[in-house]
Amino acid sequence: MNSDLQALITTLEMAALTTIILLIIGTPLAWYLAKMTSRFKVIIEAVVALPLVLPPTVLGFYLLIAFSPEYLPGQLWQQATGQQLAFSFSAIVIGSVLYSLPFVVQPLQKAFEQLGDSLLEAGALLGAGPIDRFFSIVLPLTKASFITAASLGFAHTVGEFGVILMIGGNIPGETRVLSIALFDHVEAFDYARAHLLSISLLITSMVLLAAIYWLNLPKKNSSKNLMVNTVREEKSSHE
Amino acid sequence: MNNYPISHSPVNNAALNSRSNNKTPQLDLNISIEYQQFDLAIELAIPLIGITGIFGHSASGKSTLLRAIAGLETSLRGEITLTDTSLPSRTFVSRTLVNSERGLYLKPEQRQVGLVFQNSRLFPHLTVRGNLEYAVKRCKNNRLSLDEVIKLTELGALLDHRVNQLSGGQQQRVALARAILAEPKLLLLDEPLSALDRHSKTQLLKMMLNIQKQLNLPMLYVSHSLDELQQVCDNLLVLAQGKVVNFGNIHQVIHQLNNDNNSDIIHQQTSLSLPIKTFNNGHGLTALALNAHEDIFMVCDQTFEQQTHLRCFILASDISITLTEPTNSSIVNHLFGTIKQINHQQNNVLLTVHCGSQDFFVTISAFSQQKLSLTIRQQVYLQFKASAVRTFIH
Repeated sequence: MNSDLQALITTLEMAALTTIILLIIGTPLAWYLAKMTSRFKVIIEAVVALPLVLPPTVLGFYLLIAFSPEYLPGQLWQQATGQQLAFSFSAIVIGSVLYSLPFVVQPLQKAFEQLGDSLLEAGALLGAGPIDRFFSIVLPLTKASFITAASLGFAHTVGEFGVILMIGGNIPGETRVLSIALFDHVEAFDYARAHLLSISLLITSMVLLAAIYWLNLPKKNSSKNLMVNTVREEKSSHE
Repeated sequence: MNNYPISHSPVNNAALNSRSNNKTPQLDLNISIEYQQFDLAIELAIPLIGITGIFGHSASGKSTLLRAIAGLETSLRGEITLTDTSLPSRTFVSRTLVNSERGLYLKPEQRQVGLVFQNSRLFPHLTVRGNLEYAVKRCKNNRLSLDEVIKLTELGALLDHRVNQLSGGQQQRVALARAILAEPKLLLLDEPLSALDRHSKTQLLKMMLNIQKQLNLPMLYVSHSLDELQQVCDNLLVLAQGKVVNFGNIHQVIHQLNNDNNSDIIHQQTSLSLPIKTFNNGHGLTALALNAHEDIFMVCDQTFEQQTHLRCFILASDISITLTEPTNSSIVNHLFGTIKQINHQQNNVLLTVHCGSQDFFVTISAFSQQKLSLTIRQQVYLQFKASAVRTFIH
């Protein structure tokens, strides 16, 4: 059980770190995409959405090559940290960030597009600068989407298998996450432990998803719902 | 300047294209914006006195002009300079908002220009008080107290309401209060009344006038309703296809519009600011002094406190012409005058009749004109009912 606990801790650490990094880079990326009008927008959107359709092993394969000491990203990492990138905790975090990117960027982009510019213009004319506007207008009005994005990014990272297997291997305490531990148990015909891990992952995912849907449920007289409607009315009456 | 509403010295058409170097509160515009349908190109110095109306068809560039001044229009070339009073020294200071040649382009948040939008654009996650405080927190001067503005806009009872519980008129009052609390040097109003019912319109117009007077805040007010503009503006700018058609004293510009074959977009009218001579004469009529010897009567049984002048208008279609003095008529207003101009417009004729010192505009049918065989310099009597003298915000 001890090794499973270790795998759980590694998984949670990886997923938490990935989610934080995704929110930090996903927010400006989603903002940029929401405001972008150039033709390159579709290309960037396609790149962001790629992990949704690409077999994880394909992504993992290219990352494995890139992270190896023979290629530039791996070399640079080694020079900067003195450690090899492939088969490290850092590698699976980077892999997870790329793999879960669409799950964070897409809900945020949609929320920013829906919010539109009208309230931001109003804020600017009241003297609020861009950072101020983000924290005083955008964040409170898209809070639900941020929670959705973070939960989806986290849950998707927890469930990741192919990419981690390719670039992380199976090093206990470093890259051995729950999904890989489960695979090991099945390989070793240890179905009892496999059941335990599976059922706990299943229940956790179920609870997390239910929570997300509950959060996005249109509620009567809910201020959140009203406020989204107001923004929509504003948009439509403006068109 | 306490007499209100008083017409200011006329800014005639010579003001077009001439840019004064004297430091008076004014907005100097020399801008062009390329558009799909038309190019907006405006070169004009707007004196920042009272409320300046901006009138035109939809898609004449009115809103674009306001957005350019506010800093929301980014594809702009030219220069915008705002000269305003700097407190406490009360000297005039010019600030360049845009100078595309120098690459200078102040962001909206740096311009100290307020804008009230057609749809109030209140922050839905904040209460009324939250929306007002949003402006207060970001205002560098804090010369205005929140309580004072709440009183001016009559929002006291609504402070803890969510903004989506408010009616359209209430939302616009909050938007107006919020814009004022940012203490702008110039307030822009982009069709703020277009979505409101008549009662709310009247209430907001009164409020705008009162705020303008109390805070001495210059306003540019865009509307497609000449009736609204007529009631509150000192000067009027008329735009068409992105170009300045006319600019000057509100009454003069409206009278010029009458003759420009604009009957499809405006109600041809005589626009007046007249001194109030006697309030309610016992029969619900108020007398306004047209000149030293002639009065006109209007239906109005209210008293106007602290008000010496009244802004009113008479639709050209509400005035009729007789050749003899109508002594036996129920119609109370009759004026003697001389026909100055006859302008044929489809089946109607627009007459400009000079009475005393004032031009009146009268539309009659071409049939009537022939019947009476009216000619220029002919002397005629105008008659119109007291109820034809209209005003809607007093």
